[in-house]
Amino acid sequence: MSDAAHYEFVVIGAGPAGQKAAVQAAKLGKRVLLIDREGAVGGECVHRGTIPSKALRHSAQQLAALRGPECAWMQASLAENTTVQGLMQRLDAVLRAHEQYMGRQIERNGIAHVQGRARFVGPQELEIERPRANRMAVRADFVLIASGSRPRLPAGIPIDHEHVLDSDSILSLIYLPKSLLVLGAGIIACEFASIFQALGVRVTIIDKARAPMAFLDADLSAAYVRSFEEAGGKFLSGRSVAEVTVDPLGWVVTQLDDGSRVRTEKMLCAQGRIANLAGLNLQAVGIAPNARGHLDVDAHGRTSVPTIYAAGDVIGPPALATSAMEQGRRAAQHAFGASEALAPESLPSGVYTIPELATVGLSEAQVRERLGGALVGRASYAELARGQINGSSDGFIKLVAGPDGRKIAGCHIAGENASELVHVAQIAMVAGLQVDAFVDQIFNFPTFAEGFRVAALDLIAQRERATQVKRAA
Amino acid sequence: MQAPATPNSQDPEVLDRIIAQIETGRLELPLLPQTASQILSLCQSADCTMQELADLLQRDPTLAANVLRVANSAAHGAVEPIVSLQQAASRLGFSTLCEIATAIAVRGKIFTLRGREAELARMWRHSATAGTWAKEIARKRRRNVEGAFLCGLLHDVGRPVLMQLVHELAGPAANAHVEGEQRVYDHFHAEVGARLLVSWAMPAWMVAAIDSHHAPAQAGEHAEAAWIVALADDLAHWSEQPGAEADKALRAHPALEPLSLYEEDLDALLALRERVAAAAEAIS
Repeated sequence: MSDAAHYEFVVIGAGPAGQKAAVQAAKLGKRVLLIDREGAVGGECVHRGTIPSKALRHSAQQLAALRGPECAWMQASLAENTTVQGLMQRLDAVLRAHEQYMGRQIERNGIAHVQGRARFVGPQELEIERPRANRMAVRADFVLIASGSRPRLPAGIPIDHEHVLDSDSILSLIYLPKSLLVLGAGIIACEFASIFQALGVRVTIIDKARAPMAFLDADLSAAYVRSFEEAGGKFLSGRSVAEVTVDPLGWVVTQLDDGSRVRTEKMLCAQGRIANLAGLNLQAVGIAPNARGHLDVDAHGRTSVPTIYAAGDVIGPPALATSAMEQGRRAAQHAFGASEALAPESLPSGVYTIPELATVGLSEAQVRERLGGALVGRASYAELARGQINGSSDGFIKLVAGPDGRKIAGCHIAGENASELVHVAQIAMVAGLQVDAFVDQIFNFPTFAEGFRVAALDLIAQRERATQVKRAA
Repeated sequence: MQAPATPNSQDPEVLDRIIAQIETGRLELPLLPQTASQILSLCQSADCTMQELADLLQRDPTLAANVLRVANSAAHGAVEPIVSLQQAASRLGFSTLCEIATAIAVRGKIFTLRGREAELARMWRHSATAGTWAKEIARKRRRNVEGAFLCGLLHDVGRPVLMQLVHELAGPAANAHVEGEQRVYDHFHAEVGARLLVSWAMPAWMVAAIDSHHAPAQAGEHAEAAWIVALADDLAHWSEQPGAEADKALRAHPALEPLSLYEEDLDALLALRERVAAAAEAIS
C-alpha cells in the first residue's frame, strides 16, 4: 500500500448520499475520491429507480387524467404496440440533464471519480477493482460507505427478468402486459402497482400484511387501497405465496397459501431491498451488518470503526433519497470537524403512487399512543375550489394534534400535489406553530393549500367541543 | 469489436450500384416473413392460446418440422421424442417457442442464397449464438431479457440482405463471389440491417442497437442495448474460436466499462459457453 494514492475522504457509491457527502467534503477543502461500480454518477436512484419510475408515472397520470370524467368527451387509449420505453420518452433527456448537472458539480469541486468496486484492505486502505484496468490501491483518512441497495430476491420466486421481474427490470419491459401480479406492498410495490393500473394493466397486489405501506397513517393506506380498487385493481391482503411457476404458455401462476391461484402475464417481485455490502470485505475492518443486513451507525453516521462512516440505504430506513443526502452531508461534516446542522426532527416522505401520498411527523395511531389521545382535523379536496376545478375531489389533508389540540404532531395528505403541500406542515412543525396559525393566515384562492385552513378549523372546532365537554363535566 | 472496412474504388460496378441505392435510400428490402410477423404479434397478445400458435405453425410445414427438431434437441432436455407442437410448447415454454419459430422463419427467408449455403449457415450460427449471448448479458445486467435474443440474432442481418441484393444484380452467376463484396458488407451491414428493422416496424431501441453495434457509444439513449449486442457479437466469435487471444480480447472488451461488468461477472458469463452453444446449435 506504500504506493497507494492518498485521499482525505473516499466515498463508496455515487448515489444521493455519496454524491452529497463528496461535495460537502470537497467544499471543506478536502481531497476526495468518489468510487462507483457504474460509470455514471447518480446511483440506482437516478438510473434505475426514482427518476425512471417517475417518468413512467408522469405518462400514467396523463393517461389517467385523459380517461377521467373531465375528459369523458374524448376516448383516450394507448396504441396496441405501446412500449414501456415509449412511455418514458422524456426520460433520456431528464437523465442526461441530471447526469450533466451532477458531473459538472463533481468536476467543479475537484472530486476525483473512478468507476470500480471497492474492497477494504484495512480501516484506511482500499483496493479498487476496475473493469478493463489494473486494480488500484487507495489510502484514506476517512471512508464513507454509501453503496446503496438492490432488489431483494426472495427464495422460491423465480426471477428471470422475463416473466418474473424485479423493480429494475420492470422498467425495461418492452410492451405493456395485460395483467401484472405485484408481490409486496411497500412503497416501490405500490408505486408500480398504481402506475401500471393507470396504464390499463390489470394489477393484483399480494402481501402478508393487512394494509399496504403499513408505516403510513392508516387513512393514507386506506385511501390508496380505495383508489386502487376503484380503478379495477385487486389487493389481496393477509396472504402468502406458496409457489410461483411459469406455465408452458408463459403465464405466471401464483399459488397462494389459502389454496387460491392467480394467473398473470407478468409478475413484479418487490419485497424490499438489500444493502450492497457484499464485496466490501467488511470483515477486514471488523464491521458486521446487523440482523437486518444494514450497518449500525451513531448519530453522526459513524460505524464502530471511527474512520468509517455509512449513509443512505446501507444504514436502513427511511432509505429515501432526501434522508440519504442529509446523512451523507452530516457524515462528511462530522469527519472533518465541521459544525453539523441540527438533525431534523421529522423528515417528510412522498409516496409517488396514484394518488400521491405524503406524510410528516407522527401518524394518528402514534399520537394516540405517545400523547394519550389525538384530535384530528380533516379537509377533503372536494370542499376546495381547486379540487373541483382539477377534478381531484378524492384527496384530503389530515392534521393530527395531541389531546389538547394545539401543536401539530403530524400531517398526512393524499391526492394531487401531496408531496409539495406537506412541506407547509413540515415548516409549521419545525417552527413550533400552533394549529391556529393556519386559520390566522391567508392562502391563495383557489389552491389546495387552503385545505390547511379547512383542516385547522375542523381541528379547532373539536378542541372547543372537547373543552366544553370538559367544562360541563 | 472490429471497425468495419471501408469499400474502395476497385469494387465492381454492381457494388457501386448497391452503394448508390443504400446512399439514396432506394434499397429494396425484403419484407418480414409473414409467419414471423404473425408469430411476433401472437406472442405479444395476452389472449393467445397454444392452439392458435400451433395452427399458425402448422400452416408452414417446414417451420413446424423445424420447431419440433429444436424441441427434440439435447439443448432443450429432450428425453422422449416430441411429436406434436402442443408437446413442444410444454417442453420449451411459449416464449421460447415463439423465439425459435421467429428465428427459423427469418432464417428461411433472409439467410438463404443458392451457392453460398455454407457461408450463410456459418453466419446464421454466429447470429443464433450472439442472440443467446445477448439474452444472458441482459439477464446479468438485471434488464428485461425479452427482445435481447432477437436483437442479437438480427445484429448482422444486413449481411445476408446485401448478399442477396448483390447477387440479384450480378445476374445468373449468382453463386460466384463478386470481387470486393466483403468490404461492402463490412461497411454497410449495420446500416442496412437497421433500415431493414425500421421497415419491419421493430422498436427504435432495437434499430439503434443494430445500427450502432460497431460503434455503440453513438447509439445515444440506446447505447446500453448497442453495447450488449457488441459484446454478444464478440462473445459469439469467442464461442466459435476460443483461445488465449480471444480470451484476452474479451477481458479488455470496451463494453465491460459501460455495462459495468467486472471480472467475476465476465467469468460467470463465460461459464455459460456450453449452454449457449447448445441453445444456438438447436436453432442452427
